[in-house]
Amino acid sequence: MPDESRPPFQVGAHVPNCLLPNGSYLHDLRGQPVILAFAPDEWNPAQAHQSSIFAHLLHAFDGIAVSDDTMAAWYSLDCQGPVAAQFNITDQRTLLLLDEQGILRWQTAIGPGQEPRAGQILAALEALRPIAPVAAREVPITSGGLSRRTFLAATLATAALLLLAGAAEAAATVTPPKHPASMPATPAVATIPITLTINGETHRLEVEPRVALLDALRENLHLTGTKKGCDHGQCGACTVHLDGQSALSCLTLAVMSEGRQITTIEGLAKGATLHPMQAAFVKHDAFQCGYCTPGQIMAATALVQDKQHRSAAEIREAMSGNLCRCAAYPNIIAAIQETQTA
Amino acid sequence: MHPFNYQRATSPAQAVAAVAPAPSAAFVAGGTSQLDLMKEEVLRPSLLVDVAALPLKTIGALAGGLQLGAGVSNTAAAMHPEVLTRYPVVSEALLAGASTQIRNMASLGGNPLQRTRCPYFRDPAQACNKREPGTGCAALKGINKVHAIFGASAACVATHPSDLAVALAVLDAQVQVVGPAGSRTIAFPDLHRLPGDTPQQDTTLAHGELITSIDLPAFTGRSHYLKVRERASYAFALVSCAVALDMDGKKIKRARVALGGVAHKPWRVPAAEAMLAGKKPSEKLFRAAAEVAFADAKPLEHNAYKIPMGRNLLLRALLETSGLQPLQGPAGTAFAASVGGMGGE
Ligand SMILES: Cc1cc2nc3c(=O)[nH]c(=O)nc-3n(C[C@H](O)[C@H](O)[C@H](O)COP(=O)(O)OP(=O)(O)OC[C@H]3O[C@@H](n4cnc5c(N)ncnc54)[C@H](O)[C@@H]3O)c2cc1C
Ligand code: FES
Ligand code: FES
Repeated sequence: MPDESRPPFQVGAHVPNCLLPNGSYLHDLRGQPVILAFAPDEWNPAQAHQSSIFAHLLHAFDGIAVSDDTMAAWYSLDCQGPVAAQFNITDQRTLLLLDEQGILRWQTAIGPGQEPRAGQILAALEALRPIAPVAAREVPITSGGLSRRTFLAATLATAALLLLAGAAEAAATVTPPKHPASMPATPAVATIPITLTINGETHRLEVEPRVALLDALRENLHLTGTKKGCDHGQCGACTVHLDGQSALSCLTLAVMSEGRQITTIEGLAKGATLHPMQAAFVKHDAFQCGYCTPGQIMAATALVQDKQHRSAAEIREAMSGNLCRCAAYPNIIAAIQETQTA
Repeated sequence: MHPFNYQRATSPAQAVAAVAPAPSAAFVAGGTSQLDLMKEEVLRPSLLVDVAALPLKTIGALAGGLQLGAGVSNTAAAMHPEVLTRYPVVSEALLAGASTQIRNMASLGGNPLQRTRCPYFRDPAQACNKREPGTGCAALKGINKVHAIFGASAACVATHPSDLAVALAVLDAQVQVVGPAGSRTIAFPDLHRLPGDTPQQDTTLAHGELITSIDLPAFTGRSHYLKVRERASYAFALVSCAVALDMDGKKIKRARVALGGVAHKPWRVPAAEAMLAGKKPSEKLFRAAAEVAFADAKPLEHNAYKIPMGRNLLLRALLETSGLQPLQGPAGTAFAASVGGMGGE
């Protein structure tokens, strides 16, 4: 029986916001129930034999068909001391259930050597049922509210695993639940060590597979010349060269870029000497706010490599993937035209 | 984006073996559709198997035609001299699509498999049977300006966004796939399906089937692609049209016509094709064919404009393909393919 003598936080209270290690805030998860699990460092989900609590948690969902499209996902977040402190948690394994408004609905602390009981967790999840309408979205509703299946799937979809003492670096896949086919859970994903060749230099970093090249450049490597505009392939601000061709770093994963020659705006100038395209942009005043400019210049330098002489119309067509909110287009075309004739 | 695992495929067979047994695994090639939708959390695969580095990047001769590897980029295919000269409809469709950057990244295998651009599909807060079967179709009574006028169902009115697919639909192209049950060949018009009651299924591919090449048979006729967009470049088609004409002297021996932006798949118009066969090209004939092509269109509240737009577009495409009217730009370029494009000047 779990030891519930030391409640880490009061049921019914709004829990504090906290910064999760992936850079988002706990409050951003509002709108769906959330499971927070704190663990001291010796409880490392990377090691299967230490992850029985999660095996139990997932077993609690046995027999409940979670369909393909409502995939269960939980994040393995390495949440350092401050968050645990915010939750008054010091050394015990603790599970918290938050409702969709961020109110603590249930909690349990688990003493050393103890295991939570699946039935108990299920009961707690059931108790959340009436207060979780948002989790249902448009999925079929059984009489009297949400179907359990819907609710559980939604719950798992935002379950966050917060590790108290920071031992969870590079958490590998947790022991899968008994029926992997009925629960194609998004795995607890390991970070992958990769080597990127950027502007001729080799960089080693560890990223989750979902990290876009754009974010790896900006956040991990602090090469902030490459800009994030739309993050969806619609503006060209994030243009870099991959193996000499222009490409969008927002729609490229960092892990996909391994082994390729990556060139960013930082790689164009030779010391204090600007690349001819950069110089032409300066000369023709080919920008106003400058936000789109690195992407424009990367697209333009890739374009003129073939040394073809393009008409203004052809340049416009070839450069249509780079939007400029300031509408510096005529000057951009002029700058590119100059480098073609140079 | 939901977390997922990532693997680089080492061979087509290994890629299939990695994806087939896992219902929520997916291939990724250029990533321009797959990752975009994963960022929107429309797609939440548990495993991505990267097929971009597979040796499927060649274009080679094949029984008088061409074999286009599934890993060839849109740019490389569009600029290939044999494609440009013998199948200009392909180059035009590719170059009138997306942007330089996206064409550099995108692959011929991924392009026809990109998902619909229906805004309700792309927004997980909306009802969409394609994204979440059984939730309904918000587009049916919503803003359905870019939706289907042919072949839609009560469950789904989405259109297929690929330009390339429309071009391939008029070339008797064949799709080579390897899958868990071995390899097979799919006639291109059979690759995509209509939504019916199962709009979540865009194509007839089984889970884990990998496209290895797109094969174009010999073709000596004329072909052409024409596309109308809301802006001059870097936009999906409102309506588009691919035409392939085999000529017999001055007469059309065989005509193949497909419309894009109007249905869940490239929309062939057999009645119009039959009307053109054996006839001498003339504006009158083409007008009649364009009329017939749209005779059974069923517009929704906001997309009836596609009918006159499509008729005019088809008329113009037939005039230009047959040579009765000049192309708007050099054959095989975006200028030839764009209505109201970047030309001028
Ligand atoms: C802003 C923007 C504008 C665009 N405009 C246009 C346009 O005007 N016209 C147009 O046609 N397209 C347009 N696109 C779409 C773009 O062309 C496609 O996303 C691209 O061609 C898909 O190819 P990919 O290699 O990137 O595919 P991916 O995104 O990697 O994959 C797409 C799908 O195909 C599957 N897949 C990939 N390769 C294979 C294979 N070999 N076998 C089996 N399955 C495979 C993937 O699992 C996925 O389901 C645009 C995209 C964006 C972002
Ligand atoms: S940020 Fe990549 S295209 Fe806009
Ligand atoms: S200079 Fe401001 S967006 Fe281009």
